[in-house]
Amino acid sequence: MSSLLFSLGVAFGLVLSRSGATDYDYIQKMFLFTDLQLYGIIGVAVAVAMPGLWLLQKRGTTLHGDPIKLTSKPSHRGNIVGGALFGVGWAMTGMCPGPLFVTLGEGKVYAIAALAGALLGTWLFGVVYDRIRAPLKMPAITAGPGAG
Amino acid sequence: MLLLHQLSPMHWAYAGLAIAAITLVLQFVANRGLGLSSGLEDVCSLASSAPYFKRPELKDRWRFPFLFGLFAGGILSAASAGGWQPIWDAGMLDHALALSKPAKLAWFFAGGIFIGFGTRMAGGCTSGHGIYGMARLQPASIKATIAFMAVGTVTSNLLYRVIFA
Repeated sequence: MSSLLFSLGVAFGLVLSRSGATDYDYIQKMFLFTDLQLYGIIGVAVAVAMPGLWLLQKRGTTLHGDPIKLTSKPSHRGNIVGGALFGVGWAMTGMCPGPLFVTLGEGKVYAIAALAGALLGTWLFGVVYDRIRAPLKMPAITAGPGAG
Repeated sequence: MLLLHQLSPMHWAYAGLAIAAITLVLQFVANRGLGLSSGLEDVCSLASSAPYFKRPELKDRWRFPFLFGLFAGGILSAASAGGWQPIWDAGMLDHALALSKPAKLAWFFAGGIFIGFGTRMAGGCTSGHGIYGMARLQPASIKATIAFMAVGTVTSNLLYRVIFA
């Protein structure tokens, strides 16, 4: 299983790297609406994954015959507040969590700083989770804000 | 053109198809939902004993081989395009600010804090909410995706059309 996951990661990394998704300027051009490349990528990915995942759910089993487990996303105020905070970080760095690791591989030196910052931000969130959980209506700490 | 060796990017339709295919294989064969921001928690859970990082869902660290793959894919992409070399070029940011190297690292570090804190609070990022969650029309993902696209748009426009202009 690890080699399959590694291979999918390599494929995903190659596509993100060569399509502009790991490129500071393409992310800015997406947010400035001066180049629609990234909207095209996300749009096609969602439009094709939607019927694909629906068909997998209909089929009900994986290749190995196990029941398909679709990750559900808990709904809470953190979706919006956290999404907004992430929007600031994405615009500042041109990176989201997948591309953090790809840009590091590409040799972009500033990716080291962005990844270090992202790990610090994740750690900070984990440490304050129980204090900010109630106002944001997030699940108990044992469940967390949702995987993704 | 990409900052990486001034390559022309691949066509958006092929890139989108490839990402959909990866999402579907991941679900069909490995039975996992695409989503990478939790990988940041997997890394933190190696070093932190805070209760948040001891959650049962973090016991299974399936994202590690995927993240190593992303890193390797980046190396392979650079190496096969004209050679791997350290890149400091940050395109438009350099044109706007001409930051020194330490200042540039500080800028990306600060932005990174928002990425980590924000994606985890949101319960996902561009892959988990923007692609996987949107493809399943999850209300949480629709809210999060609207929030990060809207605030990213406002932030970039403030930076490049107001502050740096």
